[in-house]
Amino acid sequence: GDGRAAVRATTDLIAYRSVNELPPPREMMIQVDQKNEAILLPIYGSMVPFHVATVKNVQSQQDTNRNCYIRILFNVPATPSAPQDANSLKNQGAIYLKEVSFRSKDSRHISELVQLIKTLRRNVMNREFERAERAT
Amino acid sequence: MADGHLFNSISLGGRGGTNPGQLKVHSGGVVWKKQGGGKAVEVDKSDLLGLTWMKVPRSNQLGVRTKDGLYYKFTGFRDQDVASLTTFFQSNFGTTPEEKQLSVSGKNWGEVDLNGNTLTFLVGGKQGFEISLADVSQTQLQGKNDVMLEFHVDDTTGANEKDSLMEISFHIPNSNTQFVGDENCP
Repeated sequence: GDGRAAVRATTDLIAYRSVNELPPPREMMIQVDQKNEAILLPIYGSMVPFHVATVKNVQSQQDTNRNCYIRILFNVPATPSAPQDANSLKNQGAIYLKEVSFRSKDSRHISELVQLIKTLRRNVMNREFERAERAT
Repeated sequence: MADGHLFNSISLGGRGGTNPGQLKVHSGGVVWKKQGGGKAVEVDKSDLLGLTWMKVPRSNQLGVRTKDGLYYKFTGFRDQDVASLTTFFQSNFGTTPEEKQLSVSGKNWGEVDLNGNTLTFLVGGKQGFEISLADVSQTQLQGKNDVMLEFHVDDTTGANEKDSLMEISFHIPNSNTQFVGDENCP
């Protein structure tokens, strides 16, 4: 079906081709690179890129101590939003990063991120879906 | 400087982000001092287990693994530093650093490699990221296929990091044969 075609296309998307294409290291905070359709996560002092097409959902929440949390869920095989796609067949035996959660002191930054990631993801998925539609 | 090399802007990476400092490599080992004092790291060459080089955005990263299971990552080396230090390590420590590559493709699937306290997520054989299991406060098996790692709340050293990693989870499909029957390890 159409969904399958779209999923197949997005698994081939890559964020960067070489290390030098990554944005220069700035503050250790989550960043969105619109141009390369990537989110960069600060993990142990490094900015780790993920293509936005690997993201399934993003949520934020706040606790009673005014700490803000952002939770990023990634696509993994055999979940309702990513049915038995080409991905799981192609990557037999692979382990998936499923979810990351970060705490932040800056609630505005977190709500901005949630919006940016959601919008970017939607735009990329729509584009890929249309591309797949045209191809069939 | 007859004995060794001094580098003025080398940051030490870890759970709480990065700290700027100064690194000295001398014939007896490696010493890093945090800018403005405080934390210092000293590794004697007899304690060295291995060295690695990895190209990172705008810089190079030196990995220093010790026999005690500690692992330090220093960033801020220029390409020419890599060449001169590699020669220095070979002649003074009798070690050739191993070259690692960083994955930048942005994929979320790959392999998990466990080496001492370090968990490495590899994408296409290249390093996606590394975490230290020493910082993990709790692991949970969720369902049959997911492993969740929770990190210690770190309020002391994370001052230069705006967003701090709290939890990470991996999905291990049934088709994975690496960790069958080993539910305590992701």
